[in-house]
Amino acid sequence: MNQETEINLEQQGDIAIFDVKGDVTALSGPFFTKAYQTANDQGACKILMKFTEDAYINSGGIAIIIQILAQTKRNNQQICITGLSNHFQKIFNMVGITKFARIYNTVEDALRDLS
Amino acid sequence: MKFLSPCYLFKGLSEPQLNALLKINREIRVKKGQFLIHEGQPAEKLFVLKQGAIELLLRINDDLVNDNFELPIAILRHPGDCIGTSALVEPHEYSLSARCFEDSELRIIKYSDLESLMLGDHELGCILMKNLAQHLLNRLKETRQELKIHFKMLFKSSRH
Repeated sequence: MNQETEINLEQQGDIAIFDVKGDVTALSGPFFTKAYQTANDQGACKILMKFTEDAYINSGGIAIIIQILAQTKRNNQQICITGLSNHFQKIFNMVGITKFARIYNTVEDALRDLS
Repeated sequence: MKFLSPCYLFKGLSEPQLNALLKINREIRVKKGQFLIHEGQPAEKLFVLKQGAIELLLRINDDLVNDNFELPIAILRHPGDCIGTSALVEPHEYSLSARCFEDSELRIIKYSDLESLMLGDHELGCILMKNLAQHLLNRLKETRQELKIHFKMLFKSSRH
């Protein structure tokens, strides 16, 4: 039914970038956990979660993202999100994700904020 | 027939049975943003995706959230994906809403026509219901997985 999640981890200065492709669902948990664990092991204190415009995130995927945001908060890490369609920006705002992570339209804006 | 055979509901049907299904369906085109079905409405039609993408939504009416909040449940984007299976079981009421995520083409089957077909060909009815049960079991597993995530979050938040 869904397109499997793929997360490529990139490092830009002191910022860990999660390049997220595919649909984000309850089954995406291990991919996010692994990416977050690797970023942590590399000492990341700033994270950018980058989605593609056609990404689909369902209720389970939202729960996974909130889990990661809760961990970044506990570990005093800064996190930004980019690449979301207007549809998902609205949903993220409504479920309160924007209280924990700022959302930007472009990667450049997000990187500028994190730098 | 090639648009119906990838559908999980029709897996295992013979060529004559698929041909019989072909006679009771028609094609529709739906624009991005347009709703196919609404949660709570009588479920009289089943849709099979031919091309495009359909988003399934669950309405949440709660004081905590905005009145218009629709929780994204899943996206269907593979030819043969099925929408409106609530039409096949009582109380024949859609349990989710479905909106076009992009311009889409679908095959539409009226439940009354399908029921007549199943009553006339019990083997077809049996295969179809078996496929539906398998699909619903998979969905149940996914939902339990999601429930586990929510409980983990609750558990962690209550400990911090």
